[in-house]
Amino acid sequence: MRDLELPGKLFIVEGIDGSGKSTQLDLLHKWLVSQGYLVVATEWNSASIVKQTTRRGKKRRLLTPMSFSLIHSADFASRIYQQILPALRGGAIVLADRYVYTAFARDAVRGVDREWLRELYSFAVQPSLAFYFDVPLAEAITRIRGGRSQLKYYEAGLDLGLASDPEVSFARFQGLIRQEYEQLVEEFGLIRMDATQTLIRQQRLMREIVRPHLNDIVKVSTGEVREALSSADLLGRYLEPASRVTL
Amino acid sequence: MTEMNFFGHRPPGIETDALPGRLIVIEATDAAGRSTHVGLLKEWLEDEGYAVMDTGLRRSDLAGPGIQQAKEGHILDPITLNLFYATDLWDRIERRILPGLRAGMVVIADRYMFSLLARAAVRGVSQRWLEDVYGFALIPDRVIYLDIDVEHLVPRVLATQGFDYWESGQDFLRGHDMFQNFVTYQRLLLAEFRRLADRYGFAVVDARGSAGDIFRALKEEVGQVVRGMPLDDPVTEVALEPDLAIGAFASDGLGVENGDAIAGVHGDAVDGQASERSALGGSSQRR
Repeated sequence: MRDLELPGKLFIVEGIDGSGKSTQLDLLHKWLVSQGYLVVATEWNSASIVKQTTRRGKKRRLLTPMSFSLIHSADFASRIYQQILPALRGGAIVLADRYVYTAFARDAVRGVDREWLRELYSFAVQPSLAFYFDVPLAEAITRIRGGRSQLKYYEAGLDLGLASDPEVSFARFQGLIRQEYEQLVEEFGLIRMDATQTLIRQQRLMREIVRPHLNDIVKVSTGEVREALSSADLLGRYLEPASRVTL
Repeated sequence: MTEMNFFGHRPPGIETDALPGRLIVIEATDAAGRSTHVGLLKEWLEDEGYAVMDTGLRRSDLAGPGIQQAKEGHILDPITLNLFYATDLWDRIERRILPGLRAGMVVIADRYMFSLLARAAVRGVSQRWLEDVYGFALIPDRVIYLDIDVEHLVPRVLATQGFDYWESGQDFLRGHDMFQNFVTYQRLLLAEFRRLADRYGFAVVDARGSAGDIFRALKEEVGQVVRGMPLDDPVTEVALEPDLAIGAFASDGLGVENGDAIAGVHGDAVDGQASERSALGGSSQRR
């Protein structure tokens, strides 16, 4: 991974499904915005142009371990060059829900060579902070059961042939991914967060860890439009809701 | 036999035993006569009694349509575009080339990873990185390079499709002089191809001469590779081992027509997308 000196900061979260990482990242996002920082959020597997191909592959079950790995790396590359790097250059805080470690864990479980994966993703930017939300497998499965309707083919890891029942396969798949994460925490020095703690306590700890990294980050000037509106006694009826708040 | 050797690590789920077919790659810059000669070779091999399948860049079911769209919009950075092409190549290796080799076919690849390495090198993408990524690629039985220079290339381009945006390097060269950009770009590209020819030991065929001379030289090269392949009716062989051959195609929307021993094995276009064509006994179809 490239360790670049950029004005922005990159904070990422990792963990198995049901670890609560997205919830924590979302809470961090809201807090950072309320503090006046410019925040850009990015999610795994979301680049518009690549996503269509991934969707096509999933729908028709064309994906095998290698094509699954390659298409996700294309998605990640697209987000690095179009979203993440420009935002970091511009001094923003970038929040990434899953990063290269997701590929390292999942693809290794699918039998892809670990060394090759690290080389494949060597264009990635070294995150400022990488959080791993550690949750016991049973706890994660219970959380997922409550919230999700039906497990999808690749999500359940059915392509691995671990079990024919989606729920059983999913549990085994997540268990194997969790083992991979354990190795990654060591190798990359991910910050281990106890995801069995209360939401509030986890978030408080996360903010404490993040805070020292915010010292030289520029804040967005807020309230200028609001000031202009009130001094001219206007409501701003024709303004986009976003510009009323942020500009 | 095609030995199951890869440039890097063997990808998961791929067998280790050699396969009965042959993989022949034809590399060259655009307008060097590549597709013409692939067509001629295919017809010649079929007339000789071989079962032939051809495959080319962007023809995978998985990534072909996506790359086409991305190219039209000119919206991808070189790393993403290369990973897209890598996905396309792997999908074709796994779902076209390997099944073809298993069934004892001569697979002709109209470009492989080498064109992609050359293009990427010209655009400043790390060669070491891209070569590592392409570690999943099966080592072909032979790579034949149609060697041409810019002087011979220009009239051919003008006689055919004209100067194209990508083949003139318009995506990264400055200015609007397409002719100058074409010359600059192709000089850089051809230098990369020659470097790759040395590095990977391509069989080099001089592509400046007449089509007849080039084809004779190609037949010589290809003849050496296919020599010794059994010329029994490959369809009979295929039909005897449905799991190994037809099964691999059938699950992919392909099937045997007529159930006739000499019937062609056609690639049905799925969803209007071009897919590979394979044919026996001259029932070849081109898109």
